[in-house]
Amino acid sequence: MLRYLASRLMQGSVVILLVSIGTFSMMHLIPGDPVDLMVGEAQVTQEQLDMIRKKWGFDRPVHEQYFTWVVNMARGDFGQSVVRTGVPVRNMISEAAVVTAKLNLLAFFISIALAIPLGVVAAVRRYSGFDYAIMVSSTLGLALPNFWIGLMLIVLFSLLLGWLPPFGLPSWQGYVMPVAVIVANQTALLARMMRASTIEGIGEDYVRTARAKGLSEGIVVSRHVVRNALLPVVTVIGYRIAFLLSGTIVIENVFALPGLGQLFIESVNRVDYQVVQAIVFVLSVLVVLGNLITDLVYGYIDPRIRIG
Amino acid sequence: MSRERDLEQVLRELSPSTRREFLKRAAAMGITAAAAQAMLIKNPTIVTAGPSAKRGGTIRILSHQEVASLSPDDIGPTMQWNMITQIHNALVEVNDNFVVERVLASNYLASKDGMMYTFTLRKGVKFHDGTEFTADDAKYTYDFHMNPNNATIQGVLFKSVDKVETPDKYTVVVKMKEPNAAFLRQAATVLIVPARYHGRIGEKAYKAAPIGTGAFRLKEWRPAEFTVVEAFDQHFRGRPNADFFRQDIVPDPSVRSIALRTGTSDSSAWPLLSEDNLRFEADPGYTVFRTSSLATNHFPLNNDHPILSDKRVRQAMMHAIDRQRLIDDVFRGTAIIAHSIFPPALQYWYEKGVKQYPYSPDRARTMLEEAGWRMGPGGVRVKDGQRLSFTCAVITGDRARRPEAEITQQDLAGVGMEMRIVERPVATILSQLPKGELDASLFNWTYNAGGGEPDPSATLAVGAARNFSRFKNQRVEELLPAGLREVDPAKRKKIYSEIQKIVAEETPFLNIMYWDWFIIFNKRIKGLPASTQSGSTLIRDAYKWWIE
Repeated sequence: MLRYLASRLMQGSVVILLVSIGTFSMMHLIPGDPVDLMVGEAQVTQEQLDMIRKKWGFDRPVHEQYFTWVVNMARGDFGQSVVRTGVPVRNMISEAAVVTAKLNLLAFFISIALAIPLGVVAAVRRYSGFDYAIMVSSTLGLALPNFWIGLMLIVLFSLLLGWLPPFGLPSWQGYVMPVAVIVANQTALLARMMRASTIEGIGEDYVRTARAKGLSEGIVVSRHVVRNALLPVVTVIGYRIAFLLSGTIVIENVFALPGLGQLFIESVNRVDYQVVQAIVFVLSVLVVLGNLITDLVYGYIDPRIRIG
Repeated sequence: MSRERDLEQVLRELSPSTRREFLKRAAAMGITAAAAQAMLIKNPTIVTAGPSAKRGGTIRILSHQEVASLSPDDIGPTMQWNMITQIHNALVEVNDNFVVERVLASNYLASKDGMMYTFTLRKGVKFHDGTEFTADDAKYTYDFHMNPNNATIQGVLFKSVDKVETPDKYTVVVKMKEPNAAFLRQAATVLIVPARYHGRIGEKAYKAAPIGTGAFRLKEWRPAEFTVVEAFDQHFRGRPNADFFRQDIVPDPSVRSIALRTGTSDSSAWPLLSEDNLRFEADPGYTVFRTSSLATNHFPLNNDHPILSDKRVRQAMMHAIDRQRLIDDVFRGTAIIAHSIFPPALQYWYEKGVKQYPYSPDRARTMLEEAGWRMGPGGVRVKDGQRLSFTCAVITGDRARRPEAEITQQDLAGVGMEMRIVERPVATILSQLPKGELDASLFNWTYNAGGGEPDPSATLAVGAARNFSRFKNQRVEELLPAGLREVDPAKRKKIYSEIQKIVAEETPFLNIMYWDWFIIFNKRIKGLPASTQSGSTLIRDAYKWWIE
């Protein structure tokens, strides 16, 4: 087990290194740099632009800039933002990550709590009114764009009813609508998957055997069907954990939440190298760890998948 | 066209009184006409709240992008301007009618030859940390920008300054290397930082923890979320009426609109969608200021491009584009056609007699024929085996201007020109265009220097950092430095009139329109001016407002 872990972590380190080189290269291949945007419409001369570039080290060769960045990262120094000048990137990421993590974790637990029972019940009562209702609402949940659902919720709960703030996180109420939008989308996906895998499980031989042993239908479903049906759902959940911090860009934009997705998009648009590289680094670490955790959870749920 | 006529009417009504006042006061102060051109004086002094003004509460405005810095050197972006100008003041400031006001300076005098400016400072002005503002702070601020090692963005404004002296605690003397008529409107309006504090913590740290003489002092800065400032009791103009002034960052224009409707916010400092702007304008529950933008909406064209280098082709393009249709269809009439590099809102400098390009596809076709471009296969003209085709880069994700590019594409196709549209990040466009690595683009840019200062050197001089069209004209090269050296306003006006005429004739870029700039307030906000010509400076006066 330890050897397996060490091997997976080594592989992950190589992936992270390659991702960092790729990101760095891509960011530096894009013509232009943050200086043009920093300066905006100020009446600058070319000479002055060059001086500002020099101040930020953009005049140095790319490989040198990369080496400096790697060395700093190894020391835990994520550098400083060029756009939000003087602010450590580490602070920017940690502040934004807290917002996104809160949002996603809340939505994540609510979705699982809703989707698994809904999917199982829909499967067990296949072709019933309840099943059709779940299928229709989950289709809508997947098909309707997040920003549209978000705007409609704002129109309803902020403009017409006046119950919730239209943007930001002034209190816990600020979380209600953005979480609801993510839950709508995520529950739809997980409920459909849970329904499909439960239906598949119900027809398996071991379920027939369990029924033949005289077990009640409730115990058959909960002990035998659900446990196996969870496997594909866990895969998706693992995938969602990996992209936890990057998957809510649209929601953050609509509800004006200063999360990691928003920070990432803004930083890409403004070619803020340090921030983009640091976010990609953090996300790649999360992807590697998320995949590892998913594999370990597999083994726990299904004893046939044991890791040596 | 009614919008254009309305604007002209307002300008005609405003102009004579301002001019008279300006000349009278300039003469009274013994100031030469040379210096007076930039001094259309309106007395600022102390603003006291009217009898109906109420104290307290938080005024909340909305903007669209993060406030990345609070240093006066980063004042460019509107959302930063909104907050940095609450915290800081300059010796003189340009108000929302482009009039220079005395602020930290109680008086100023320019020498006849334009080589020396003497500022007498207001006494008893305090910084937010309680220290007194003196000449040392002004000198420190100006010297900081003049030091090339600091590589400040505003450093270029001081290129004509030789040195700054402080003969006493309340006098600042700026000695010039050469006359620069833009000095007062540009360098003297640079916001002052406290010498000891800024010197101790440095510019980087200052960006997050500024201390100024402004009506409000920083309370909380969360760049991507909000910035809050609180009333400064010892402000030299008197304490502002509101306790707090807050700017929330809301990227989506529809959500900003809803926030205004629900009363969650009092104003949107960044425009909404055109249809929402018009809806608020028609609603008596809101006060709406509609001004003409100083930035031109235009298509910069690479003048070195094999096809676009021909003036006749560029002029034909101007005739081929139905600009009024663009204004009406894409922006719902909330713009005026741009004829010159300066908008009519810059009343003193605006030259009406420039060459104009009315919509005439027939005229465009004739001009292209005359230039040797014959209709070829697929409806695209050809000449010497070359197709009349080029690429236009629009800003990635620019939902406002993309339709404008698409309609223009159709208009150009109608006369046999092919314009391919691609998307590029704004940083790429700003970097590649001046190098001639892109054929054309579409965005808005200010061709005057802002604040009522006309100098367009940064955008028209050969090799200038912002010469997006790689424009080269020998006469303009002579006129640009002459315009900066000339301190007589009447003579200066002639120079900029000639520049406008040349640019309109040469049409290095396609002038399309000047957008209307809407600033919307909830009616509960009082103390707003009756009218304004420059929306961007309106927010700076938040210290005058109160909540009913």
